[in-house]
Amino acid sequence: MRTLRRPTHRAAPGAVGRRGAAGLGRLFGPVRDARGMAKWVLWIGLGITVLFIVLAVFAPLVAPYDFDQYRNAEGIRFGKQAPPSAAHLFGTNVLSTDVLSRVIFGSRTALTVVVIAVVFALAVGLPLGLISGYFGHKLDRVLVLVMDALFAFPYLLLAIVIAFLLSETIGRGVMSAAVAIAVVYIPQYFRVVRNHVISVREEPYVEAARALGARPRTIIVRYVLFNVIQTVPVIATLNAADAILTLAALGFLGYGIQPTDAAEWGYDIQRAIADAGSGIWWTGLWPGVAIVLLVTGLTLLGEGLNDVLNPVLRRRRIERVDLPSREARVLEPGGEA
Amino acid sequence: MDGRLRAIRVLAVVGVLALVAAACGEAAEEEQPPEEVTIIHGTTDPWQSFDPAASYDLPSWNVIQNVMETLLRIPPGGDTPEPGLAESCDFEDSQTYTCVLRQGVTFHDGSTFEADDVKVSFDRNIGIADPEGASSLLGSLDSVEVVDDSTVTFHLKAPDATWPFILTTAAAAIVPSDAYSATEVQADQAGQVIGTGPYEVAEFRPGETLVLEAFDAYWGDAPVNARVIVQLFDTSSALKLAVEQGEVDIAYRNLTATEIDDLRGQEGIEVVQGNGTEIRYLVFNVEKEPFDELAVRRAVAMTIDRQAVVENVYNGTVDPLYSMNPVGLAGHIDAFADEYGESPDPEGAAQVLADAGIETPVNVEMWWTPSHYGDLSADEYTEIKRSLEESGLFSVSLKSTEWDAYTEAAFTGQYPSYQLGWFPDYPDADNYLASFYHSDTFLGNNYSNSQVDQLIATEKAATDQGERVAAFEEIQRIAAEEVPIIPVWQGDQIAAVRDGITGVENTFDASFIFRYWLIGKSA
Amino acid sequence: MAKQSTSLRTYALTRLGLALPMVLLLLTLVFILMRVAPGDPISAALGGRLPAEELARRRAAAGYDRSLVVQYFDYLGDVARGDFGQTISDNRSVTGLIVQNGAATLELTLVAMLIAVGVGTLVGLVSGRLRDTPADAAGRLFGIVIYAAPIFFLGFLAQLVFGKWLGLLPTSGRASPVVVFTMDSPTNLFIVDALIGGDMEALGDVLRHLVMPATTLGLVIGGVFIRLVRVNVLQTLQGDYVEAARARGVRERHVVFRHAFKNALVPVITVMGLQFALLLSGAILTEQTFNWPGLGSELVRYLDNRDYIAVQGIITFVALVVVVVSMLIDLINAWVDPRVRYA
Repeated sequence: MRTLRRPTHRAAPGAVGRRGAAGLGRLFGPVRDARGMAKWVLWIGLGITVLFIVLAVFAPLVAPYDFDQYRNAEGIRFGKQAPPSAAHLFGTNVLSTDVLSRVIFGSRTALTVVVIAVVFALAVGLPLGLISGYFGHKLDRVLVLVMDALFAFPYLLLAIVIAFLLSETIGRGVMSAAVAIAVVYIPQYFRVVRNHVISVREEPYVEAARALGARPRTIIVRYVLFNVIQTVPVIATLNAADAILTLAALGFLGYGIQPTDAAEWGYDIQRAIADAGSGIWWTGLWPGVAIVLLVTGLTLLGEGLNDVLNPVLRRRRIERVDLPSREARVLEPGGEA
Repeated sequence: MDGRLRAIRVLAVVGVLALVAAACGEAAEEEQPPEEVTIIHGTTDPWQSFDPAASYDLPSWNVIQNVMETLLRIPPGGDTPEPGLAESCDFEDSQTYTCVLRQGVTFHDGSTFEADDVKVSFDRNIGIADPEGASSLLGSLDSVEVVDDSTVTFHLKAPDATWPFILTTAAAAIVPSDAYSATEVQADQAGQVIGTGPYEVAEFRPGETLVLEAFDAYWGDAPVNARVIVQLFDTSSALKLAVEQGEVDIAYRNLTATEIDDLRGQEGIEVVQGNGTEIRYLVFNVEKEPFDELAVRRAVAMTIDRQAVVENVYNGTVDPLYSMNPVGLAGHIDAFADEYGESPDPEGAAQVLADAGIETPVNVEMWWTPSHYGDLSADEYTEIKRSLEESGLFSVSLKSTEWDAYTEAAFTGQYPSYQLGWFPDYPDADNYLASFYHSDTFLGNNYSNSQVDQLIATEKAATDQGERVAAFEEIQRIAAEEVPIIPVWQGDQIAAVRDGITGVENTFDASFIFRYWLIGKSA
Repeated sequence: MAKQSTSLRTYALTRLGLALPMVLLLLTLVFILMRVAPGDPISAALGGRLPAEELARRRAAAGYDRSLVVQYFDYLGDVARGDFGQTISDNRSVTGLIVQNGAATLELTLVAMLIAVGVGTLVGLVSGRLRDTPADAAGRLFGIVIYAAPIFFLGFLAQLVFGKWLGLLPTSGRASPVVVFTMDSPTNLFIVDALIGGDMEALGDVLRHLVMPATTLGLVIGGVFIRLVRVNVLQTLQGDYVEAARARGVRERHVVFRHAFKNALVPVITVMGLQFALLLSGAILTEQTFNWPGLGSELVRYLDNRDYIAVQGIITFVALVVVVVSMLIDLINAWVDPRVRYA
């Protein structure tokens, strides 16, 4: 059966490649037209995601203190493990740093690492999927086997080992964490892209292009890629949600970034577990809530986009069509009834 | 000792206790009869090995001191060696030490304790020379001579007045010659760990639990419990919850200061504190930048804020330390306080650096290890970094690795500066100062001062206490001037025990041996 | 019928044939990972602590001075024989370590999977049946949010509430130290051992320790199940035979329970298999959070100690388990749903 994801307005070769306003308008058409729960889901997800992006980008302006700041401007230390108060809305942790500030800076760390990881995974998985799907044969079979093997392996185990090995060679930091996470998700991008390419390459217009003598590179880039790329936003968003969890897991186990370089939610929760035993709840609750919120937001955004862009699941606005009444049509000026 | 005779002794002791309790007139709690008592000890310290030739860490040594025995031993609360497996020991001359061995002692596997066992125990320790072992402690030993079945003579390479102390350490624990190989490390399994001590290893699950059971044919005083289960915890918070909920009887090593504070007020729990000579310090590799410059080391000594570490990280449960010879041992002087003052002096440090023409901020790389010294190492070094950077003179980058890789790198001189800790092998200043300041130590920090070496040799050979103290003080003064190591804090032994557990305070003494045989439980 | 069993056998053989290259690939991957950065395990673990000649002697004895290719085939041979070697840091047999701690992980993951399937199918069925109602929205949201919550965060909350504030449940270990010592554990699966020994008190203790870790892990995995079960329910409810049943006048309740739900649950087995890797990943985090002495916490411990022989053994074992389980799932699937065999 043909792929369900392809919105009809993308089929004609003419429309492909034209990035005029008409093209963009058509892209956002489904979003505008969406109704029902899909719309709510999309907007809520978008709202949450944008909130965290704002926090991440403007962290130094938004956060009351620096992520490793332990005393105020006069040099007086903050309390250690102090409960929430006016000066520290979320309290302080065992190192006397402000929890709220660490949560805000943590979003910066999370989004930075995850964006790098997703870009990296895309940069490797997308081309591989394209090539493998289009050319097929032995290359395809080998790649599929390798990717399936990687995919079947418990992702955290893979991420841990790679993060560890990278930290031994290039040192612990944003790059080692991002690469470790990226490697885990490359098989996913590869799979989706490859499957999509396989179905698209049988389309008549692709055959036509081939018959016309277009080179494989042209076909892949002009027709296949543009067709395939529309699935990327949804997958990338859902991937980003997962990647945040993986980064937090690495941070929790101690294989994430260097704690002194930046604030990281997973690492903060690891320190907070010791506090739970003494009844100190604020050091772990807020980073955890942040993770839940951001991941939920990204997931809702991704699912919302999926519902909206997928023509099968899409729910269109239904306009009532008013047919003119029969009596009105029959009348003529000066005529008989 | 004959079983029946021992049983009568036990009954007599119990009987006397009962009479005394009755005589006191109050409703005294009755001790549970030893046969029914199981003590559960929760800890976060992992064991290395139960072979005296292959371990040099506190948790392993604790087990060895309960399962095996030494020729001489430090009594609870004391600080001088008294007879153990040896009935008597004497110096024949400054380099010859002879011991007459106790008769009628049997190992857990039934074999008899004889002079051969002593020779094999020492020879194999030195021969195997395991990197994790303490053969360095036996450095003074030249050879062990078996004079007859019950007499042994130690021939030392040089006069060493501390040799009797060394005989009390776990490195000198006696193992059976027929069951322990001369070249291989013994496996850590029940039935393979054999000694003469009051406990035998009943079960061992590596990384999880160790079960010790009282040895029926033990020659000495029977333990006041029948069994000890040592449970290993990954985190101190889990250990704390376990002792709160009664899953363990004793939580000893390593609860954080916050956790101790929380436990102090709680019903059903008692926090026991005993004097301690456990120390923490920062080592400089004097051949690695920037610590090859004396000025830099002195500047750090002037800037480091011990009080901040003590207050903020440990909630005041430890004390600032101003010498590598801790408070409580003979010859202690607050050498660093004398040299640099008790509080940080950033201006003085700036002056020192300026005089030496060193640009600030100085880039410093400092290493620490996450679990070996408890969960607070991270915070301790964050605090040290803060105090150094507050002065504006240093820029500190902190790095860490786990213990195995950490020691490998640190002791081969790969780190410019690194965290270490120390527990006494025996309660004498020599164990600290010689171990740290001799040209030939395990530290790997390339410090060498022939005058210090000379002083160490002097105090080892001297029999007069005044002479030794004078030597100790001089070593500490030189060490403070040249600063190859900075002492940071000294800590007490702390345990959280459930109500009804007795004897813990009796075993908290300068020897740092946790004597399970003294721990009892009242109903 | 004869044709059916033949094709099942054929399918099984084909599937096995496919599994072997997969195993080889994974083993190669593990070998490369373990040799690439650290060098040989012995130098990595004991490097600076032994004199150079001793180090060289040990390396030669263990065979690390030979070419990588020779070592590779040696490794494959060892795995085929089931010989994973001895750990460097504490001289334990790696196979013994896998058996002892693997059982702990197995117990945790099995119970967690039960909880996941229970929660997931329940909420998923309700959600799918009541599509687009507030109940559906709540169910879907619950699935999303619970999956978004990191396991260690849920563990933190659980320890805070049930461990500290309510004081009801223990937060670490598989059982109290006394129980661990006194109970005979031939299988090392404590629930089984307690039942075999008829020791109800021990069983209670073991269950009390198991509740929080298994529920935490199970809930998170259950979140994934909800979504999958819901989609299955939606599809089956739209299916032709359901319409036919409705047209025949079968009561809605029968339609839902007898036809739709049963068929919606068939893929659950597949789903369980797919979530297996997720379960193992989650187990690592759960074990660290709750001090559970399983394979995950051992992996972290040995990795931190640079004990690459132990790490290699554990990862190899996990890779093999993953291949075996996915093969089993495929076989069960083929047995249950004949259409799969002809694909």
